[in-house]
Amino acid sequence: MPVTTGDLARLLEHPAIWRGSSVAQADTLPSGFEALNERLPGRGWPRSGLIEILVPRFGVGELTLLLPALTGLTARPAARWSVLVAPPLEPFAPALAAHGVVLERLLIVRVRPSGNSAGERRREVLWAFEQSLGSGASDLVMTWARSPRARDIRRLQLAGERGRALGVLFRPLRAARESSHAALRIAVEPIHRGMRATILKSRGGKRGAVDIACGASWI
Amino acid sequence: MRPPRLGPRTKMSDTQTREIPGNEGHSVPRDPVVRRASGYAARMLGTGVVSLHTVDVGQSGTVSSRELWIGVHLAAVSQAALEQLATRAQRFTPRVSLVPPDGLLLEVKGSLHLFGGADAMVRALEVDHVHAGLQPQLALAPTSLAAIVAARHSGSFRVTDHAQLVGQLSPLPLGPLRWPQEVVDRLARMGVRTIGQALRLPRAGFARRFGSEQLGELDRLTGRSADLRQRFQPRERFRRRRELTCELESSESILRALGPVLAELGGFLQARQCGLMELECLLRHRHASPSSCVLRLSAPLADVTRLGELLGERLSALALPEPVRSFELSSGALILRALTSKGLWRPGEHGGSAGTEPTELVERLRSRFGPEAVYGLRVLAAHRPESAWRATEPAQVSSAARAPTPWPAFRRPLWLLSEPRRLREKDGLPQRGGSLRLTADAERIETGWWDGGAIARDYYVARDIHGVRLWVFRERSAPYRWFLHGVFG
Repeated sequence: MPVTTGDLARLLEHPAIWRGSSVAQADTLPSGFEALNERLPGRGWPRSGLIEILVPRFGVGELTLLLPALTGLTARPAARWSVLVAPPLEPFAPALAAHGVVLERLLIVRVRPSGNSAGERRREVLWAFEQSLGSGASDLVMTWARSPRARDIRRLQLAGERGRALGVLFRPLRAARESSHAALRIAVEPIHRGMRATILKSRGGKRGAVDIACGASWI
Repeated sequence: MRPPRLGPRTKMSDTQTREIPGNEGHSVPRDPVVRRASGYAARMLGTGVVSLHTVDVGQSGTVSSRELWIGVHLAAVSQAALEQLATRAQRFTPRVSLVPPDGLLLEVKGSLHLFGGADAMVRALEVDHVHAGLQPQLALAPTSLAAIVAARHSGSFRVTDHAQLVGQLSPLPLGPLRWPQEVVDRLARMGVRTIGQALRLPRAGFARRFGSEQLGELDRLTGRSADLRQRFQPRERFRRRRELTCELESSESILRALGPVLAELGGFLQARQCGLMELECLLRHRHASPSSCVLRLSAPLADVTRLGELLGERLSALALPEPVRSFELSSGALILRALTSKGLWRPGEHGGSAGTEPTELVERLRSRFGPEAVYGLRVLAAHRPESAWRATEPAQVSSAARAPTPWPAFRRPLWLLSEPRRLREKDGLPQRGGSLRLTADAERIETGWWDGGAIARDYYVARDIHGVRLWVFRERSAPYRWFLHGVFG
């Protein structure tokens, strides 16, 4: 019996069949930037797991890149926590509220290492990050980590999947040389009136750079 | 025409309805069973005015020939001792009330037959108190106030029939009522020295001369109006001490040793349908003073697995001076738990509502980093950037996400430095790595002159050589220094 394309399409829709580009069927979260959505698998950020944003230095626009997602997640009726673990500065509430972030759903965690070595601090930050990711109580967890080990990243990826939360790890650009288990790795650098996002790794998506214009509000 | 008298003129019938104070003026049938049912009915109908709890209190204070109270008067007893006696008295009846500072009331009608009648019960109570080294005076009466007043006067008052109550009370002096001395003196000048004489006074005149408070007391004494008594609830705590067979050093082994005691705590809490908000673990050493590890929770918790986890976090953060020889686990006050049903969906799945996970997460993080390390944010209406926000307690789980606060989209950075950082200056331009490029007009913030925190600044958006957008300001007065205050991120 000849198989029509319709039959084939129906067959391929079976949930047990996984195709390279079919992450698209999974839950995604619109990034809020049309140019970026087109490049991302499923037209948005993954809903769970771990992504890495690599930045040359703090403050080049990495939070602006995630702000639409943060706004969308906190404004949902059954929103869970959006957690910022050990942010380098104080998140400024009036600016977040002006962008539509529902502050009630935001949780800030400051770690207090028992020792004062860098390794001790990193361990505490990753512990808080993993707890928040895996607890099932968070939608989005962000942290700024200098040098997590590959083994840690694998664990965080699993924690994100277990807790159905999206973990965002901001790392220095030089980490681009290391391999990582994260589902998505994006390097961000500032350009005139916006930023350039270079997709370094995308499970089931395409690589390449995309320029994001941030409009008149971006001065 | 004869004026109305204070005493009860007619015996009230059982079906009569009456107003129960504290019941929002709803009249409810007097019979306890009927009243309880009507409470349910009101709830079922959705009026929700008559709550079951209020009704229950009303029931314990009702005046009816179906009630019988034992009043216990004790000479000089401490509050703690009184509570202990009340706890012991609860083996006769659950309806025990404290009459501070020196009295107890027991409603015993329901349990009389279990103890062989009123006299036998009074004797048993007496024996109980004598064993505790006290000399009680006991009285038996159909109303609670009559029982305690009679007990204060003598230990021989025994009235079980409501019809005889007024007659038996009449010869008693006014002293045991404990009215203000001034009222008693004025009554004495009128020649009124006994309860019976007071009851024979005209109601209106009595109320006018002495106020309605004493009149109400007389009404409660004779059963004309209900007397509400708060039921005594013993305070319970969990406390266990264990000696260890060997000295333990690591937090894991201590936690393992705590396991059986925690399991016991779980059973204790489950039996009482209670949770706790405070748990202390005291670890004793050979020489050093005991180490204490206190767990404070934001919501009542009864799940010992989670308690064990939280305690483990605390223990691992604790620096022990010496190995542990024994430990003691003691709970704070027990709190009745509101039982909830579990959702079909896990939180976040198909928009399933959040369960206990949000508070659990906050608690777990707090038990490791301290309570002030985990917080939420709030916007304050203030022009000074540093006072326009505040750290708050993380929002409660149940609170539905509110619509975002409409907040003017001023040019504000996403990140703020807790303290403005001084910037070096070269050729009139601020420096950070290299010269900053100012990219927009100034925004002037000049405010706070009324409370001593005056600021006068011109804010600019600047870009540093790496392309990072910064929020900088220049002072509006000498020495016109430049500061970095935020990062747009």
